[in-house]
Amino acid sequence: MTIQQPPVKLKGVGDSLWITMDASLPAETLKQELCKPFERLQHLAVNARVILDPGESQADDSLIDDLGAFLQQHFQVGRVSGPPKAKITPAPAGQEGSETGRNAQNPWLHHSDDTLVIAGRVRSGQKVEARRHLVILGDLNPGAEAIAGGDIIILGSLLGTAAAGQPDNENAIVLGLDLRPTQIQIAGYVAAGTSSSSGKKPEFASLKDNQIVMADYLKDNIFKRLAWPEIR
Amino acid sequence: MDGKVIVVTSGKGGVGKTTVTASIGAALALQGKRVAVVDMDIGLRNLDVVMGLENRIVFNVVDVVQKKCKLKQAAIKDRRIDNLFLIPASQSDDKSIIKPENMVWLCKKLRREYDFALLDCPAGIEQGFKNAIEAADEALVVCTPEVSSVRDADRVIGLLYAHSITPKLIVNRIVPKLVEKGDMLSHVDVVDVLSIDLVGLVEMDDAVVVSSNTGNPIVQQKDSKAGKAFNRIAMRLDGHPDLPVEDPMGHDSFWRKIGKKLGRKKQE
Ligand SMILES: Nc1ncnc2c1ncn2[C@@H]1O[C@H](COP(=O)(O)OP(=O)(O)OP(=O)(O)O)[C@@H](O)[C@H]1O
Ligand SMILES: [Mg+2]
Repeated sequence: MTIQQPPVKLKGVGDSLWITMDASLPAETLKQELCKPFERLQHLAVNARVILDPGESQADDSLIDDLGAFLQQHFQVGRVSGPPKAKITPAPAGQEGSETGRNAQNPWLHHSDDTLVIAGRVRSGQKVEARRHLVILGDLNPGAEAIAGGDIIILGSLLGTAAAGQPDNENAIVLGLDLRPTQIQIAGYVAAGTSSSSGKKPEFASLKDNQIVMADYLKDNIFKRLAWPEIR
Repeated sequence: MDGKVIVVTSGKGGVGKTTVTASIGAALALQGKRVAVVDMDIGLRNLDVVMGLENRIVFNVVDVVQKKCKLKQAAIKDRRIDNLFLIPASQSDDKSIIKPENMVWLCKKLRREYDFALLDCPAGIEQGFKNAIEAADEALVVCTPEVSSVRDADRVIGLLYAHSITPKLIVNRIVPKLVEKGDMLSHVDVVDVLSIDLVGLVEMDDAVVVSSNTGNPIVQQKDSKAGKAFNRIAMRLDGHPDLPVEDPMGHDSFWRKIGKKLGRKKQE
């Protein structure tokens, strides 16, 4: 059995929508295919930056321009362009992890999505990094590190070091069901964990007046006051 | 049938790797298995002294690996226990003299010759550690109820998993009185953080120090709590994985529950 690649695939990368498409198809077919995901997105696509990536297939600039104008007209998207020229080259095989065999960190290194969700226990000496938000279904042990460009959410015990909002997102939070961190960083601010935090209840840390403060998440949920659900 | 190579490791030094290796090795041999204990702490050998065999060393593990002698020639028969053999470390060499590929070869030989081979790993996570875990089938991680020891054990557990070895946990040097007073980490907390299969809780026991000075195996001293615990660990490793772990704090039924919760599964 062969798996049919869809002619158009969409995913969010950074603050843009990345579309992988088979440029060998006629422009009309591509337009029809593009409508499907964009109709689903509705207002989320408004003003979004769009990257049209022909992948292995060849696309000339006129096709990108044609499709871009189509998307702007029908879905009010923002700037549309081809993929950036500098290709990300994966590290030569066998270089990483060759020291320890199956390196536990490998699957995360090549992760290219926005939000990283992992399950399991991150142990002392291990480090998890996410471009934007990081969700761990499990525990972050003492001596382990979690680093994220956005929020860090640990559905378990947070006993290690968590650095959210790296390097300069002061709105980022660190949330844990059992928050007893060694250290928390948000943007450029650092707070040492204290033994006073009792844990065993959902708490979150955020920046308030240039200080990292911890609060009971259920009692003091800052997001409850938002007028409208928004994308984090 | 091929035997099993089990590495005894901890990360942190002085937590009881050598004691565990000698004691469990002796217990397995007393249960009728053919056992080799191998001192992989090249340059800092200890196992020979703990077993009271230091005056019988002619060849060592480096000689075996360098094919200066046969494995059998380096294996020293224990004075008291049949079927128990020590393969000593070299005292003069550096850890880097043995390469990981040598270990693959050595472990193959050990499996053919013995039912169990226990490797006494050096402290740390450098070359000596990497050698010891390279070709092991299983690992026993020894940890004491101290924050630093737990941290190091956790690091080692991560490295073992990365090497596709599933580790089992022994918590050593527990002092129930201190735990009761809240002055020592409870083993419940240790197991909670490390969350691997628990095979034994060993109390701090003066008899351990005495036995390692006299070379009398602790597992043959019927009234030693540590000795009893080591005997039970050996049974768990040898065909009785469901034997409950006895709690030094006396909450027996509680521990049986934890044992179940951790899912003492057979890994076949
Ligand atoms: N359960 C115990 N009760 C009392 N003393 C113990 C116990 N376990 C170990 N010891 C003592 O602790 C000391 C260190 O033990 P051991 O040499 O086995 O540790 P190790 O991990 O092999 O150390 P190293 O990292 O230096 O090789 C020894 O003096 C030993 O007798
Ligand atoms: Mg030792």
